[in-house]
Amino acid sequence: MNEAAGFLFIVKKPEEIYFSMSKPLSRMPTGMRYYSGAEARLRRAIETTLMSVFDGWSYEEITTPTVDYYSLFERGMGRSQAHHAFRFSDTDGRLLAIRPDVTSLVARAAATLFAERERPLRLCYAAPVFRQQPQSHAEWRRESTQIGGELIGAHGSAADMEVLAIVCETVERLDLDRDSLITLNDVDVFNGIAEQLQLPAEARNEMRELVDTRNAADLERFLVPWSSAEESRAFAQLVQLSGKRKILNDARRVITNPRSQTALDRLERLWSVIESLQLTDSFEIDLGDVAWLDYYTGLTFKIYVKGAGARIGSGGRYDGLTASFGRAEPAVGFVLDLDGLTDVLMGRSHEPGFMRASMQATQPHGERLSELFAAARTKRAQGERVVLNTNEVMQ
Amino acid sequence: MTELTIAIAKGRLQAETLELLKSAGLVFSGEALSSRRLAIEDESGRFRLIFVKPADVPVYVERGIADCGIVGRDVLLESDADLLQPLSLDLGACRIVVAAKNEAAVRPSGMLKVATKYPRIAARHFGARGVAVDLIELSGSVELAAVLGLADCIVDLVETGKTLEENDLGVVDVITESSARLVVNRASYQLKAETVSEFIKSLEKAIRRRGSVD
Repeated sequence: MNEAAGFLFIVKKPEEIYFSMSKPLSRMPTGMRYYSGAEARLRRAIETTLMSVFDGWSYEEITTPTVDYYSLFERGMGRSQAHHAFRFSDTDGRLLAIRPDVTSLVARAAATLFAERERPLRLCYAAPVFRQQPQSHAEWRRESTQIGGELIGAHGSAADMEVLAIVCETVERLDLDRDSLITLNDVDVFNGIAEQLQLPAEARNEMRELVDTRNAADLERFLVPWSSAEESRAFAQLVQLSGKRKILNDARRVITNPRSQTALDRLERLWSVIESLQLTDSFEIDLGDVAWLDYYTGLTFKIYVKGAGARIGSGGRYDGLTASFGRAEPAVGFVLDLDGLTDVLMGRSHEPGFMRASMQATQPHGERLSELFAAARTKRAQGERVVLNTNEVMQ
Repeated sequence: MTELTIAIAKGRLQAETLELLKSAGLVFSGEALSSRRLAIEDESGRFRLIFVKPADVPVYVERGIADCGIVGRDVLLESDADLLQPLSLDLGACRIVVAAKNEAAVRPSGMLKVATKYPRIAARHFGARGVAVDLIELSGSVELAAVLGLADCIVDLVETGKTLEENDLGVVDVITESSARLVVNRASYQLKAETVSEFIKSLEKAIRRRGSVD
């Protein structure tokens, strides 16, 4: 699988290279790339596999516009995220963006185009998204392909579990189940605590950041003026570790406010299902995952795979989003990063099982053009793979 | 097989960091330590240390090439990397300060010229105070900039204050305190949870022991 991928080397004389460097066509903008050869085949196979999993759970594919109004993404993702988009103006002066996100577009379609359709809506997509600035230092790409699904108009544990079951199946189909981990949290565990401590907005943000970076010592110090020393210590320890059911039991002893308790109940219901399906090896509860508090409204999860330095996917419940487009309804969904998955699977020493071995090509023969193509068409009709030697025939 | 790769900041923190790792139970042969190799393994073979420039520690860890790293908070503030910071290590304590020849130097009639190795920290500090600055990014001997008049003041790391003193500069403002921190890659924290938390615990114990000896 380690075929030199993606780049074409053309031998040039030094002075040619020097001059071509100054030509804009030989240079590519940062964060953009080609895929070819084994890597392109793998990427296509991953996409096909994931889309077939969605199809198996009756998710309908949706293709969204590549360009839409910037204000749509601003409303859907929040200003700080939408900010990353490539922007330009329409003929009437309104600000446009190349989509930095697909979920906003799907949510808008649900509230408008599919307003009359029966609920729940099950939609999926595989589409590139574009960001003018990468999301982090470790992410150099400015174009990346998201494969995702959204379950709109359904609430409760059944809907949450449906999405988790799909995530689980996609990971299994890619032969990554032994090398991956899905971490679960519910944003209301944190929100309940912040509410109980009556934290002003700024302090809430600071606490979120300390929890997010697992900075237990500073978190404990931060909490001192707001709660008892014992509670502070217990809570700081709690967000440090992820784990199985024990984490929930430990959490209940420390966290007593009703909002957080309800969230812990929700997590526990999901965990019981995960236990009964014997999937506990693939999941963990991570109460310290508080990265996207303003976007998600309940369950959140992240997908990690060995060989990738960053998460490979994420998702959660976002009941507040469709209201921004005029129709409030519950929704849950997730995205996987196709480029990240391709990188991980490319690094494997063996070809993954879901890749169909490509057929050996045969070479049709013919003295004349007409004979050559007649032979080629016959082989193609029989389902064979052909490669023509275009130099062989008399022109 | 190596279970954990740890990026160590070369230079100022290196010796203290290695001492801490030793007292946390990692064993390194004298031969490995005295060699010029940039990656060495501990005797158990479970831990691999890589030695990189301080500013590169967040890069290696954020991209998951190293699972953990030990680096000063000053470097983290400057890099803005998305990392977990589960432990403060109580070593290499120092301050990031604004230093100048005198108080008056930081109140020029025009733009304040600031020389520094820490452009982000400097920009944030003066930005929060509404001071317009002309940032001059240097890579070493920053004190010289204030002495020779390249800049009105400098933003730099101060341990003992000796270098400032010898160059007739004084601390005008302390921006923040800095000490070494353990940083962990987000994916490693989940995927190697057991090894990472065991490592954190042994470091915690080592720090407490050091504290009681001092």
